[in-house]
Amino acid sequence: MYLASGGDDKLIMVWKRATYIGPSTVFGSSGKLANVEQWRCVSILRSHSGDVMDVAWSPHDAWLASCSVDNTVVIWNAMKFPEILATLRGHSGLVKGLTWDPVGKYIASQADDRSLKVWRTLDWQLETSITKPFDECGGTTHVLRLSWSPDGHYLVSAHAMNNSGPTAQIIEREGWKTNMDFVGHRKAVTVVKFNPKIFKKKQKNGSSAKPSCPYCCCAVGSKDRSLSVWLTCLKRPLVVIHELFDKSIMDISWTLNGLGILVCSMDGSVAFLDFSQDELGDPLSEEEKSRIHQSTYGKSLAIMTETQLSTAVIENPEMLKYQRRQQQQQLDQKGSAARETGSATSVTGVVNGESLEDIRKNLLKKQVETRTADGRRRITPLCIAQLDTGDFSTAFFNSIPLSGSLAGTMLTSHSSPQLLPLDSSTPVPFGTSKPSTEPVAATGTRPAGDSVSKDSVNAASAPAAPSPSILTTPSKIEPMKAFDSRFTERSKATPGAPALVGLTPTAMERLKEQSLVKELRPRDVLESSSDSDEKVPVTKPSSLSKRKLELEVETVEKKKKGRPRKDSRLMPMSLSVQSPAALTAEKDAVCLSVPAAALKLPMPGPQRAFTLQVSSDPSMYIEVENEVTAVGGIKLSRLKCSREGKEWETVLTSRILTAAGSCDVVCVACEKRMLSVFSTCGRRLLPPILLPSPISTLHCTGSYVMALTATATLSVWDVHRQIVVVKEESLHSILAGSDMTVSQILLTQHGIPVMNLSDGKAYCFNPSLSAWNLVSDKQDSLAQCADFRSSLPSQDAMLCSGPLAIVQGRASTSGRQAARLFSVPHMVQQETTLAYLESQVAAALTLRSSHEYRHWLLLYVRYLVNEGFEYRLREICKDLLGPVHSSTGSQWESTVVGLRKRDLLKELLPVIGQNLRFQRLFTECQEQLDILRDK
Amino acid sequence: MAKVSVLNVAVLENPSPFHSPFRFEISFECSEALADDLEWKIIYVGSAESEEFDQILDSVLVGPVPAGRHMFVFQADAPNPSLIPETDAVGVTVVLITCTYHGQEFIRVGYYVNNEYPNPELRENPPPKPDFSQLQRNILASNPRVTRFHINWDNNTDRLEAIENHDPALGCSFPLSCTPIKGLGLPGCIPGLLPENSMDCI
Repeated sequence: MYLASGGDDKLIMVWKRATYIGPSTVFGSSGKLANVEQWRCVSILRSHSGDVMDVAWSPHDAWLASCSVDNTVVIWNAMKFPEILATLRGHSGLVKGLTWDPVGKYIASQADDRSLKVWRTLDWQLETSITKPFDECGGTTHVLRLSWSPDGHYLVSAHAMNNSGPTAQIIEREGWKTNMDFVGHRKAVTVVKFNPKIFKKKQKNGSSAKPSCPYCCCAVGSKDRSLSVWLTCLKRPLVVIHELFDKSIMDISWTLNGLGILVCSMDGSVAFLDFSQDELGDPLSEEEKSRIHQSTYGKSLAIMTETQLSTAVIENPEMLKYQRRQQQQQLDQKGSAARETGSATSVTGVVNGESLEDIRKNLLKKQVETRTADGRRRITPLCIAQLDTGDFSTAFFNSIPLSGSLAGTMLTSHSSPQLLPLDSSTPVPFGTSKPSTEPVAATGTRPAGDSVSKDSVNAASAPAAPSPSILTTPSKIEPMKAFDSRFTERSKATPGAPALVGLTPTAMERLKEQSLVKELRPRDVLESSSDSDEKVPVTKPSSLSKRKLELEVETVEKKKKGRPRKDSRLMPMSLSVQSPAALTAEKDAVCLSVPAAALKLPMPGPQRAFTLQVSSDPSMYIEVENEVTAVGGIKLSRLKCSREGKEWETVLTSRILTAAGSCDVVCVACEKRMLSVFSTCGRRLLPPILLPSPISTLHCTGSYVMALTATATLSVWDVHRQIVVVKEESLHSILAGSDMTVSQILLTQHGIPVMNLSDGKAYCFNPSLSAWNLVSDKQDSLAQCADFRSSLPSQDAMLCSGPLAIVQGRASTSGRQAARLFSVPHMVQQETTLAYLESQVAAALTLRSSHEYRHWLLLYVRYLVNEGFEYRLREICKDLLGPVHSSTGSQWESTVVGLRKRDLLKELLPVIGQNLRFQRLFTECQEQLDILRDK
Repeated sequence: MAKVSVLNVAVLENPSPFHSPFRFEISFECSEALADDLEWKIIYVGSAESEEFDQILDSVLVGPVPAGRHMFVFQADAPNPSLIPETDAVGVTVVLITCTYHGQEFIRVGYYVNNEYPNPELRENPPPKPDFSQLQRNILASNPRVTRFHINWDNNTDRLEAIENHDPALGCSFPLSCTPIKGLGLPGCIPGLLPENSMDCI
């Protein structure tokens, strides 16, 4: 399903049909001329040092050959672009044509050095060089496209001479004899192309069924602008068409059915010729053709392809059953999918449409603009995927937050760096503090909030703009002749470009003009910059404060968006559940304090009272009231908790700084580093725990309580079992060295703490290894390159919720678009995808998220099966299966994150069964599982 | 094969008053990551008669450009009226968006621009000295004229050679002289009858 093209830019480009984009037009062309098919370049092959003259796919598409004016032929591995298998050297002139032997044993090339060379594909060495028919050849042709007959018997050259007449030389495979040729063209033959079909005489009714010899059909094009079509069973051409073009014929191609022929010419036109079966004969079927090949050449050298694999013997009846079942399931799925598509497409259309609109609306505001060292504006473009399909990726390369369901919780981390310079009220030069996301001059004219500025600008310009009918009067526009040249003429001066060393007389003039423009240029720049200088000081104070406000409003809003996540099992704690005032104070503190060498995390200040919603379903609130004066002037603090209408309250002796709750416990951190834990009914579970330093953040999930102290140490306890999970672990190793902040904290239902940092990395603490594990990285290039679309069982299968999904916060499109976005060689793609999937499996395992572990393991195995990685697959199966015969010395655990390994294996088996290559593995596992079941 | 192809240019806020900035939303596709930045320019043609009156409104670098589809908004201030000949202030002119890589221009998008007074009275009796504050700029966004040039996208090695090849094109000093690439010399014709853009195939 590839197309290869060679160009005069020395490159070969391999293209793939992009099926997900509909017809589209080329920008600037008329709307009527839409490209029906979209092709995307998947590989660029670089090796030639000169123009590429011809490209040819080998039989069965295992190899791609290219030839060039650099006198070489290069053989590319079509399974692993851009791997080069061989470079064939030997021609001493420009190589202008290539053809593969239809059984794949040889490849032939023809060059300007008056030779035709045949190379063996076994060792890529020269088989023979034929020069005699070309001795007389004078002059050159643009191309020398030779062709091999589909039965393999004959090789026909382009431009040869016989008795000073131009011919197409017929070279027999047997002994490379050159006794015959096609004669008749008046000028050099440029192209020869055999019809891909082998024909036999049309059987006429009543005629004796005498088996006639099969024959081939060949088209010959020449510099004399005419085309001739020959049948090998006839002495004279079947048809000759003179004066078909104004210039030489450049290439010929037969349609796959062998009845049509496309011819192109130097004059820029293409001709299509249509034949009937009466004219050419009955084409042999592919089976008959391969039978001819087999009888003539024995087993063909062709590489085992997928189609041939399907004829492999199935060794086990179980396997056959699975294959059948799979097919049936696929049919069922297709049916159900077809029923569902109607509703599904409409939904996605709306969602994507909105998002695209959002991007476009905010593009100017969001795009990152900086100044280079020499003061020039530099815009970082926003990376989008396929706008045509409405599909887009969350910007990979410049992490601009796009509102997505999962991205919502992560927004806090994006906004905090912006808050830093503005809220810290440290004197920062305005121009440099912030890479202004919009032109500076525009800030002065935007008094309104950023979010509405766009609308206000529109509104402002609207009254000034009368009805468009007056304005868009194309008939009144009279373009002058002079303009036309301006559209097409290259600009004469490119300031900033290195001055060219002029070689022509006109170059001097050009240089003069260049310098003129150069003079003009700095002035322009000066003017524009002075303009902005004038505006900035005036608007600076007001705009600054307003911006600050906007930003605050924005962050609060974003946090609200992030909050509705209700995952009963875990609560992403995005610092958003507290009152806004405390929130911003805390955020600032985070930003400001972290760069210090000794880690110091923000501490919640004492408050008079605050309320906290623990969960909405069941609805559960915690209310705290500090310094409630009790009898005798003793100041007490009151903790109130209401859960689905049931209330309890208790008092503590010191002021409560922060509180947290889960369905199982409620805990509060007080002054004097005290941490108290209560049951859901308000019963104190433990005497107060003394923390090593003041509390920074407190969090509960299930019976786990996590306390992060101001000195960046982390502890997790299981209060029900009364054990420590994580003991005063320092965050130093993950926060040290750079000015990162903790943007999100998560405690999984298994008591695994996860820290999301502002640089996009997320670490979880692995209690059994007593080490921090990196579980997610926003900048992970693997995730960007991985593509396992083919392994996804269905469209929405990506959406697997769990701690990993929350931590990674990745849109469901990741892992699918890599192939659309990048032209990565398949091997690199495979490696990155494997590495990515493996890291996902490992991360899910570390987070003890069984649901996600199963999800990623299935995906990973499916990918291994699709791509045929046996060793890894075998290792996984071996681990899941474990020892079949119980042995006491075995270290094997029968479960993994709460899942029975053998059940997992049972689930994986049908997947493994999909690829016949793994039928042995499938059978082995199946049998052993059966033995185990019977025991 | 060009590494960068422009997918679309959307003219934003059109029509607009003469003094308001130009805004183009440009989306382009890059087949392979570029080592260096692209340079985009907006050139305002002050007068059809001479290139002397061309104003480079702004030039920006765009990068880094990895493979994929990208978009950005290119905003540039309105042209300086004092540099426009009075006789050419009202009427049709051209704005050009060009993009260069390594100093080689590979695409040029041209739009006709009509400057006129929206006020019917002013239109009937235009002031002898053009009143730019009253002028309305209307870009004929539906009819971009796109010209693509073949350039060398690879690093320097034979860059000089590539530039030399284009010397004749660069060398012609008169705006009215023949266009460098065959098939592009579109004679003056009214926009309604403009032939289908023939430059796409180049």
